[in-house]
Amino acid sequence: MIEITPLAVSAADLVVGTAPVSGHDVRLSLAPAAARYSLRARDPATLAGVIGRALPTRIGDMQGGIACLGPDEYYALLPAGERVPDGAGLPVSVVDVSDRALGFVVEGTGAAAAIATGCPLDLDRFAVGRATRTLFETVEIILLREDTTRFRIEVWRSFAPWLWHALVAAIADR
Amino acid sequence: MLLIHCPYCDEDRAEVEFVYGGEAHIARPLDPSALDDTQWESYLYLRRNPRGRHHERWRHTYGCGRFFNAVRDTVSDVIETTYKAGEARR
Repeated sequence: MIEITPLAVSAADLVVGTAPVSGHDVRLSLAPAAARYSLRARDPATLAGVIGRALPTRIGDMQGGIACLGPDEYYALLPAGERVPDGAGLPVSVVDVSDRALGFVVEGTGAAAAIATGCPLDLDRFAVGRATRTLFETVEIILLREDTTRFRIEVWRSFAPWLWHALVAAIADR
Repeated sequence: MLLIHCPYCDEDRAEVEFVYGGEAHIARPLDPSALDDTQWESYLYLRRNPRGRHHERWRHTYGCGRFFNAVRDTVSDVIETTYKAGEARR
C-alpha cells in the first residue's frame, strides 16, 4: 500500500521531500550533493585539455560523468567537492553551477513509466548511458539514464519542489 | 504529437521541445545606414507568408539549444526536411 502525499495547496507546502517516496515499483529519492559544471567550447579538444578529462563525442552521450548536451555544450556531474580548472584566458567557458540544480533519482521497474507521464521522450529508445535536456510537463530538466531501471533528473532548484510533487503524484496514480 | 527531426541531435523529438523562430534565410543588411526606409521596413517586417513550402527557423530550446532551419508545408503542416543553420536553402 502506497502512502500518498497530498498535492500541495499553497507555496509553503511545496517542498522537496527529504525522505524517499516509493510505491508501484518506483522509488523517488533526492540524489546526494554533487559538483556540477556547465562547460562550453567551440573546440572540444581545447576544453578536454583544460579540464583534463575525455569528452563524449556524440550529442546525448555520457562519459565519465560528463554529458554532451549540444554541439558545444557539456554538463559535468561529479562527486561533491571535485574541482575543475577554469581555463582562464582560453576560448572555453567552465562555470561551477553546483548549487543551480537538484538531482532526483527515479529507480525501479516502473521508473520509465513514471517519467513518461510528463516527459515526451521515447524512453524505449533512450539507451543506458544517454543524457539529454528535455521537459517534464513544462519544466526544463536534464534526464540521464544510468541503468535500465534507474534514471537521474537534474532540475533547477526553483522548479524542484513542483517537480518532486508531480513525480510523487505520478507514482501514486500508477 | 508532431515529431521534429533535430539535425544536431539527429533524433526525432517532440514538438514541445522546440520554439518557432520565424522565416529563415533573412540576412541582416551589411550596412543598414545605406538603406532607405522602404528597404529597412522590408527587412524588419515584410515576410513571404507563402501557402505551401515555407523555410523557417526553429530552435531546439529544450534539447541541444540550437537554431536550425526547417521546410514546412503551411497547408498540411508536414515538415519536409530540416537542416543545420548556415547550410544552403533546400
